[in-house]
Amino acid sequence: MTRVAVGIAAGLALAAPLVLDTFWISLVTQMLIFGLLALGVDLLTGHTGILPMGHAGFFAVAAYATAILDARHGQGFWLSAGGGVLAALLLAVVFGFSVRTGGVYFILLTLALGHIVWGVAMRWTTFTGGENGVSNVPPPVIAGVRFAELSRYYYLVLGVVIACALGYRVLVRSPFGLALRGIRESEMRMRGLGYHVFAHKYCAFVLSAFLAGVAGVLYAYWNRFVSPAAATFHASAEAVLVGILGGSGTILGPFVGAAIILGIRNWLSGYVGWWTAIMGGVFIVTVLWAPHGLIGLLRQASAQVTAGGGALTTAGDRAVPDAHESSAAGKPRP
Amino acid sequence: MDAVVLQALNGVSMGALLFLLASGFTLTFGLGRVVNLAHGAFYLLGGYVGLTVLRTTGHFWLALFGGGAVIIIVSWVCDRYLIRRTRDNVLGQVLLTVGIAYVLADVCLAVWGGNPLRLPPPEFARGPIDLPGGIVYPRYRFLLIIFGLIVAGVLWLLYTRTQLGALVRAGVDDREMVDALGIDVDRLFALVFGLAAFLAGVSGVAGGAFLTLYPGAEWDILAYALVVVIVGGLGSLGGAMIGSLIVGLVDAYGRWLLPEFSYFMVFGPMALLLLVRPTGLFGRES
Repeated sequence: MTRVAVGIAAGLALAAPLVLDTFWISLVTQMLIFGLLALGVDLLTGHTGILPMGHAGFFAVAAYATAILDARHGQGFWLSAGGGVLAALLLAVVFGFSVRTGGVYFILLTLALGHIVWGVAMRWTTFTGGENGVSNVPPPVIAGVRFAELSRYYYLVLGVVIACALGYRVLVRSPFGLALRGIRESEMRMRGLGYHVFAHKYCAFVLSAFLAGVAGVLYAYWNRFVSPAAATFHASAEAVLVGILGGSGTILGPFVGAAIILGIRNWLSGYVGWWTAIMGGVFIVTVLWAPHGLIGLLRQASAQVTAGGGALTTAGDRAVPDAHESSAAGKPRP
Repeated sequence: MDAVVLQALNGVSMGALLFLLASGFTLTFGLGRVVNLAHGAFYLLGGYVGLTVLRTTGHFWLALFGGGAVIIIVSWVCDRYLIRRTRDNVLGQVLLTVGIAYVLADVCLAVWGGNPLRLPPPEFARGPIDLPGGIVYPRYRFLLIIFGLIVAGVLWLLYTRTQLGALVRAGVDDREMVDALGIDVDRLFALVFGLAAFLAGVSGVAGGAFLTLYPGAEWDILAYALVVVIVGGLGSLGGAMIGSLIVGLVDAYGRWLLPEFSYFMVFGPMALLLLVRPTGLFGRES
């Protein structure tokens, strides 16, 4: 089933610019970029079982660095993009120490760290432009090819996202990825088995910030403009939600979630002014009724079909491992 | 020299406001292990409701307590029908309360609009006040300090000297044991959550008079309250008192000395503190 889904998704993604108009290409590009950010976040929520609420910070730092290098200093694509990713990585190397804290403290700490980035973007007006942001980011030029039209830039984004997703697949299936899931299930046990839990969490944090940074670079060239809006708490929270809504612990899930969220927002904002409340409703409904996400629901349904119905309880067990329960169960009382 | 004292007063009055907000947050967490990220939205909604009450009746005290009372009802509904269903699921709970905050904030936006609104302070709190040492200070912010001290005193007495406080302290320490002793912890928690929500609503009214109310204020103030709670240690009332004082002062001096990096001044030291003491100054294992 997964292969068919991936095949269909790849086919649709490749053909998209041929059939869609500019508005939709732009929206799909945005979905891919936001999905990549959510994929990075899901390395922590879905695989490691810790919940970062400040990843928009890495996304925004990369976007700002790229925009400032290219728009203000004319450094070209490779230096600007590399500088953007490097900025996110450096920040992650510092902020990564937050994995020393556990549970709720980690959530609140990352939230506060993300807020620092937003605050600096907002207040350090001489460097970041404050609320006006950094505008006039030129289209990327790679090996003499100008990615000026959106349909062309779309393929660049698609290529980067696919490369990242393949790398991610290798990563989560490696012994390192298995160790992360071990930590999610029981940190104590992994420590007892001799794993260096802090080092694993720290590496996972930096890697997930790397993906957020790549997404930030793509965002800077897509939007041609970076403002503190990229670093808000809303962006961080939505990146977490998107992963869970699609299906935590899967690769396709975050992209499905991003497609749904951005789809809803773009569709609704044309008709009603209530989309923030509706987003809130999506948060609530997802947590209460679809904690395994849409992919979890689909798997449950297909398991039911193959088991000839009436297998609701076993199907539930087969669904995506739940980051929620384990994050609470993973901390035995002292 | 005068500026140093003025900034200290600014810091303490901001600390008083933060304490109103953070004390509820920290007790909610201590007793129910509930991380309520909608606490900032409770603040904002309480402030707006207070503003409307003030405009229709003209009574400041009615606005103050009315704002708090409405939030009690809102929080009861949230707890009873939503938050209680995600017990022991921290990740889900956090996202759920973010969702609640989104919904409440959008309701506020629809009803009160997007422009910053300022609650007019009551007659007795307008104008400046002359303090010893020839310092002239806004009377409202000075009274806010006293109000914060009174609330802190009442909470402290409630927490350390009454049966209810003893139950809450016991519940913070060992929830299951209190449950096994035949005390309805859910009801106890609902009570504490209501009190926390009341304080959040009151702080919205109190803060609306000098920080103004605007869309997004819920996250701005929540971020500060979180730092207070983290610095003081989750679940510790004394920690919240000291934490709000520290954060208020650091923020005031930060804004004065390094305006471009004032956020960093508040959040940076907190991050460093957590590296040394992962559970805050007075916290326990989460």
